[in-house]
Parts: sequence; structure tokens; C-alpha cells
Amino acid sequence: MMPIWTKSGKKHAVTLLKVQDCHVLRYISKEESGGKTSKLLVGGKNASPFSKSESAMEIFKEAGVPRKQKVTTFNVTDDAIIKPGTPLYAAHFRPGQFVDVTAKTIGKGFQGVMKRWGFKGQPASHGQTKTHRRPGAISTNKAAKVYRGKKMPGKMGNIYRTSFGLKVWRINTKHDIIYVNGSVPGHTNCLVKVKDSKLPTYKDCNKNPPFPTFFADGDEKLPEDLYDEEIFQFTDPSVTYA
Amino acid sequence: FSSSEYRMNSDGQPAKFQPPPKPVIIDKQKQREERRFLSPEFIPPRGRTDPFKFFIERKDMIQRRKVFNIPEFYVGSVLAVTTADPYANEKVNRFVGICVQRGGKGLGATFVLRNVIEDQGVEICYELYNPRIQAIEVLKLEKRLDDNLMYLRDALPEYSTFDMNMKPVSRLDHEEIPVNKLQVRMKPKPWSKRWERPKYNIKGIKFELPEKKMKEAQKWSQPWLEFDMLREYDTSKIEEKIWKEVSEELKK
Repeated sequence: MMPIWTKSGKKHAVTLLKVQDCHVLRYISKEESGGKTSKLLVGGKNASPFSKSESAMEIFKEAGVPRKQKVTTFNVTDDAIIKPGTPLYAAHFRPGQFVDVTAKTIGKGFQGVMKRWGFKGQPASHGQTKTHRRPGAISTNKAAKVYRGKKMPGKMGNIYRTSFGLKVWRINTKHDIIYVNGSVPGHTNCLVKVKDSKLPTYKDCNKNPPFPTFFADGDEKLPEDLYDEEIFQFTDPSVTYA
Repeated sequence: FSSSEYRMNSDGQPAKFQPPPKPVIIDKQKQREERRFLSPEFIPPRGRTDPFKFFIERKDMIQRRKVFNIPEFYVGSVLAVTTADPYANEKVNRFVGICVQRGGKGLGATFVLRNVIEDQGVEICYELYNPRIQAIEVLKLEKRLDDNLMYLRDALPEYSTFDMNMKPVSRLDHEEIPVNKLQVRMKPKPWSKRWERPKYNIKGIKFELPEKKMKEAQKWSQPWLEFDMLREYDTSKIEEKIWKEVSEELKK
């Protein structure tokens, strides 16, 4: 995470996400998948092909791509279908867009009710016998049962969670880095899924995004760094209030 | 005719010819090159982050340093910082103070300046790479015996007062940074932190406490810490690489 300053002098914290060898693996049509839209399988970071069975490696062989550590699905409209095997780059996103980021949260193991659900526990003194971090009562007398989904101790973390509506401040096309506002679930160097935001406030935010994606062998030659309009670039002189 | 015949020893005998002393040539440029200063925020902390992230951050830091000059300074030097302030009369705010602590790594590196203005102690924490800073001038470049001068809060206020219109103290380029071995006198206890305890390892205070208290403070010493191998973080090789990278980029 890094600080970033706007032209008005305000500081924002920013997370760096690196797009590492992403390729489209397979196209699944609407009828095949049984959903409302067609799907595209996308694979992430490269990994060794020796620790998986032959049947699992078939998808990668078809696409002509080394084995990927993570494979995710994206629901895609019919006009945005991409041929399997095309690489995906950070330039697919542009500064000023809003993005949802999904990842597995940091696993905390088996945790008690105070850390997992934020219960208040009991006082440390004034006669409490062996009861300082316990849940207390778990149901009423009339219910005569414990409801399903009762908050109790258990394994915490290591589940998929999403942060919605994160602004993209800056994109580095040379090293494929996306600078995303705020924090993102997951530990450092974990694998993360970045999608266009589903929030209704940001529905009309993407003005002319690269559609269906940014192709490196196309005609567009992008500069190394793409900045949002409000960002203070370090090549400029210091900020003044005239 | 030569005057050497008339040179006499203390005994009164004719003195032996003494050749003049050889001139000592101080190669100033070599001294300047030998003395390298790498700002501490360039050294990456120990952790599991990808070194590539520090490389990207360093590119931004070098870019800012090309446009804006961040001078070399240490904890204990007196600095004057002018920042852009939208609420000031002229939109500029100038503060003079002694650097009490330098923290943070990378773009978020900070330094705290302390001064006593009209009997009120003021500490301001500035970010080195904040674009609102218009100028950083070093009025007095010197080091102190400690890395962290937070104890000045409990010291007599005379040690933290600096004139707002202080003139910069001139010094030659190739001289070594002077270390001010000042031992500071403290206000009576209680202090904000127990500075006599060995964990702070302060050498710049003149402790006027009784011997018994000093001995009692040594009870909290942890003599095994210096032998703990897991805490060792040798930065010499990393510093060399980063120094080469940074100096090459700045010369361009």
C-alpha cells in the first residue's frame, strides 16, 4: 500500500495490484453453462505443470497456455467474447473507473466469539468465575432451541470477500500494475479478482473503456503511466494555493 | 651565503638541516564521493512484500527528488519547512524546529520538527514527499547522540527553543557531520516515558537521579537481545545496491 496525493493536496492510501500472466482459457456459451449470460474462464499466475493430473491440464493445453495457479469465471455479454489464449493486461482498466476486488481473507484459524463476531464478553473482575470471553446466553427460554446461524466460535477468515466501489487512480502499462483506492481483502502477494463495479452509482462511470479488452499487438500505443485527472504527478512542481 | 649556517640548536651547536614538511593534499572530490548519504526511507523494511513494490515506489521517490530538492539531514539538525496552506494569509506556512524523529519508509516517510513558541511546545510531523511542501532548508546540520529525541518533551524548554528567524549556519562541503555530544538536563519527574530504562538506550540525558533509581532501572535490561540472531537485519548490501541505483538516476 502506498500514499497518493491529489492536486488539491489531499492524501489517499492506494493498493498496488499486479496483473501477472493472465490469459483467457475457455469460452462457455449460455446454453452450456445454464446461466443468464455466457462465461469466460480466465487463468492467473503461472505455476508448475507437474503437480496436477493430465485431465486437469487439458484446459490449459487447449488454450496453449502454461498452467495457471488460479482459474476464475467472469459472466460476459455476447459482444464481449474473447478468443481463448489471448493475454489480458492491466490496460484493460483505465484511471477513473470503479472496480470491485474479491479475494480470500487472511485466515485466523479457530477463533472465539469476541474476535469473530465482536461480542463484548464479560468484565475482568467483580466476581466473574471463569467467564471473561464467553458468549453468555445463546437463546431464549420460549424458543427451546438454538437458531440456525447462531454466532458461535469457529474458523474465521480464509473465505472470499469483496470490497466494492474502489477507484482506479493509476495504471502502469509497462509493468501491468493497477493502483486501486483503499484496502483490499487478502494478505500481501495473494491472488485477487478484479471486476467492473456492480454498484448503481458507478453504472455510467466507464467512458470509452477498451472493449472487449486491451490488445497488446493492436494499433494503440499507450504511455507507460496512465494517471487520473486529479492525481498529483511527481513530474509537476509542488502544489500551491494561489 | 646561506642562512642555514647561522641556525643554532638549543645546545649552541650548528643545527642539522631539516627538510620542510611534505604538503598534505586533501582531495576534496574523493572525500565527497567517499561520504555517501542514503536517506533512511530508501532502505526497505524486513517483511514478505515483493521487492518489486519497493522498486516501483523508489522510482516515484526519485522522480519527486529530481523536481524538488530534499537535503541531507539527521535527527538533531535544525530545519525550516515552508508548506502551502490554504488558510494562511499568504498561502505559505513556515516552521523552524529541531528534527526529533524520522519515521516511515518509502513515499510515506515523515519527520517531526519540535520548537517552543511563546512557552508552548509544538511538534509538527511533516511528510517528506508531500507535494504541499514548498521548501526544506537545513539551518544547522548536525547529529546527536541518539536516533530519537522524544525526551526533549521532558527536558527543560531551553533545549527545544530555536529562533524562527534563525540564519543558516555555514559549513564546508567536505567536512564530516559534527556530532553534538550535548547532555540535556531534564525537568523533575514524572516524565512522559521512563527514559532512564535501558530499552530506550538514551545517551543524551544527564541523569541527576540517585544511584539507587538508576540501578533499579537496570532491572528491565534485556542483555540477550543483542545476541538474538533472528533480529539481525544486515542492510549493508541492500544499501549499496540502492545507493548505486539512486545516485545513477539522480545524475541523469
